[in-house]
Amino acid sequence: MSVRDRARSALERLVAASAAERALISLASLVLAVAIGTIIILVGGRMTTCGEAAFVLTHPRPFGFPQLFRMGFCYDPVLVFDRLFIGALGDPLKRGWGPLSPFTGGAINPFRAGYDPLNAQMANTLKETTILVFTGLSVALAFRAGIFNIGSQGQMIVGGLATAVSVLWASSLVSGLAGTLVLVPFGLLVGALFGGLYGAVPGALKAYADANEVITTIMLNFVATGVVLYLVRDVFKDPDSFANQTVPLPEYALFPALVFPDPSGFSIVALAFAAGCILALYYLLTRTAFGYDIRTSGIQPEAAEFGGVDAKRTIVASMSLSGALAGIGGAVYVLMVLGNYQTGVPAYGFDGITVAILAGNNPLGVGFAAFLFGVLKSGTIVVQFSTDVPPQLVGVLRGLIILFVAMPEFFRLIGRRVLPAEPDRPGGTAVATDGGHDRDGPPPGDGTTTPRDSAAAGGEHR
Amino acid sequence: MSVRSALPSALDVDAFDIGRRGFLAVVTVGTLLGLGALGVAFPGSIFGTLLEVIFAKGTIGSALRRSTPIVLAAIGGIFAEKSGVINIGLEGLLIISAFTAIYAMDLSNNLWIAFFAAVLASTLLAALFAVVCIEFRADQIIAGLAVWLIALGLAPFASQVVYGAPNTDSVRTPPGMNEVLEGLPVVGGTVSSVGGLVGDGLTFVADLPVIGGLFHASVVVVVGALVEADVGVYLMFLMVAISWYLLYRTRFGRWVRASGENPKALDTAGVSVTRVRYTAVLLSGVFSGMGGAALSLSLGQFTGNGQTMVNGKGFIAIVAYLFGNYNPVGAFFSTLLFGGLDAIQTSLQNVDIGVPSPLVRVIPFVMVIVVLALVGRTRIPSAAGEHYESGEE
Repeated sequence: MSVRDRARSALERLVAASAAERALISLASLVLAVAIGTIIILVGGRMTTCGEAAFVLTHPRPFGFPQLFRMGFCYDPVLVFDRLFIGALGDPLKRGWGPLSPFTGGAINPFRAGYDPLNAQMANTLKETTILVFTGLSVALAFRAGIFNIGSQGQMIVGGLATAVSVLWASSLVSGLAGTLVLVPFGLLVGALFGGLYGAVPGALKAYADANEVITTIMLNFVATGVVLYLVRDVFKDPDSFANQTVPLPEYALFPALVFPDPSGFSIVALAFAAGCILALYYLLTRTAFGYDIRTSGIQPEAAEFGGVDAKRTIVASMSLSGALAGIGGAVYVLMVLGNYQTGVPAYGFDGITVAILAGNNPLGVGFAAFLFGVLKSGTIVVQFSTDVPPQLVGVLRGLIILFVAMPEFFRLIGRRVLPAEPDRPGGTAVATDGGHDRDGPPPGDGTTTPRDSAAAGGEHR
Repeated sequence: MSVRSALPSALDVDAFDIGRRGFLAVVTVGTLLGLGALGVAFPGSIFGTLLEVIFAKGTIGSALRRSTPIVLAAIGGIFAEKSGVINIGLEGLLIISAFTAIYAMDLSNNLWIAFFAAVLASTLLAALFAVVCIEFRADQIIAGLAVWLIALGLAPFASQVVYGAPNTDSVRTPPGMNEVLEGLPVVGGTVSSVGGLVGDGLTFVADLPVIGGLFHASVVVVVGALVEADVGVYLMFLMVAISWYLLYRTRFGRWVRASGENPKALDTAGVSVTRVRYTAVLLSGVFSGMGGAALSLSLGQFTGNGQTMVNGKGFIAIVAYLFGNYNPVGAFFSTLLFGGLDAIQTSLQNVDIGVPSPLVRVIPFVMVIVVLALVGRTRIPSAAGEHYESGEE
């Protein structure tokens, strides 16, 4: 067996062994983030003022036991998380139904009468999910190559504007159903092209000038925002509008709204395309030579180069592909949600980082993580409508989730404390945060520094 | 084995070495001088406008004010990264301290309380980061990112809770240095009389032809900007000096540098690497806290929309110390370059030079990219980003 084959089989074994652990860590992170979020809501509820307490913390008083402790809060954490998670799906549950209801004589069927899964709120959730899949895949792919692409946001808006402008130009050439069949793929292609080019810039800077990609991509986000604002305001502006936006695209140039109600800005076609991209990227990473090059450069750059991988070319190629995915995200945002380009695109690129980290940079995991964040984003609006809690809370939750996902060691320590009987797996499959793997579970006993496998952080490559 | 001998010998020269950066700095100054010559020669042209903008007292004062939070955060970043912990969450530390400063100022109406509350908040967040990275061996980059995102959500959240909007109410701003001096009993009188005499002298020289123009452009404007600068700017100067001394002239500084270069040697010499790294990361919180306080207090308000008022300053701080080769003085000068560009672009937005303002606003960010591409590889501490495991555990 050649070195390459052996490395490949070892890699596959590691991926299989760690997938369950990864999922468990992500779930635990979510639960912990919600727990801390509860504390933040309660503290916030004490800091603000309100007429009547929305939530009262006290102890049970059996047999006329005197009340010793009673504290009112302006925000109700239960309501907040109920609205955030359940509201985002369009309230599928019966009033008062809980997971324990069937055992306490309640209804077995949890769904309320007349619940339509194709409701507007669900459409909103899936709309967010669709965009997040693309930015999540974008970040995840770069991560697998050992590059930290924080620039998905910039690549997305560059791709989005390019799509809006070029599809507008092309829409005068074709029309009708044929127009849709031609213009939508054309728009996606243009978005991918421009996003890819914008992603190639930090890739080339990293490969050939050793410039740290974390810094360059952040700076390029600012540059993209400024230049795009200038282009939309002064060059491609819709003369009939006061806002900074381009001329609206004709209906036939957009993703068709099927199945779901029309004005939701969601198209099931786009979601299907996103799912296709997930599978395609999974295939690319696990079954092709290029994907193998990407993964080995991410886990062991020196070994990859030794095995004949052109490191510089791989960096530029993976950054271009990563940028292209973000650019497609921008194109979908234009062709499905906006119908033209408007400044002030929400921070999908940054959410993409969260999605990728939560998914352990596994394309299949990105699907689930994107749905979770789709729920969070869509639920934020429901929370805003039905409670007084500031919507920025969701931003805090996002940060907390990343923080916990970043420290798998924390959960391992807790796991060891709770389940002391389980023996330590020597040389086990410790998961690094970026989806790579520590070479050996326990650090070498000679007291040297533990080898840091992931070049993702770019510590050595500044 | 002493810690000193464990350090690569180049490190002792580090304090003064500028090398390729020095060359770049010379090029920059040369470009500025060239621009100046063009501006003097053709006062009506775009160069003339540029010259006027650059040497306006307001521009220099605003460059100093803009540099303050960045320099302070950069100093913090230097300590953390020199010790081996890459702290990319400086942005988050600035955000949290900027908000806390305003909130505490609003509650107490006392500058000192506001200042220390901000430093405390930032240090607490840095402590969380330190525990996560050092105790639980989290990936430093991702944990730093999390610190940023948490602060990015938490500060506007708190502002919304307290003030009902992402922007806080306005509070009193700290006094300028001239007001501070005049407020002191004996010194105040001396300052104003001496200031009057000096002022007369200055006016006399400034009235001379040719020399007067140059004199006005350099001395009067710079001194004037310094005199009117608020106390935050002086805090920055003080901290640059203190941190340089701490890093290059004390035993602790040697430990910090060894912890990032050769932790094993430090361990062998009987110093706890973990403890040094904890201290360094906490110090990064202290310095960033000062930066955040200086930022929001000098404006008297915290604005929490979008990227908040910090708006990338923490990331620019990272670029600044990389460009400044982990030297506080170097970081100061590279920040001044950036702060100057930022101040110039703001002034340029008011003067019509034929370039749309969104593009002018982009200039500093493009400059950072160009600088990074030119300077390229920075020699980062060799153990930075790695977790250190002492053999004794």
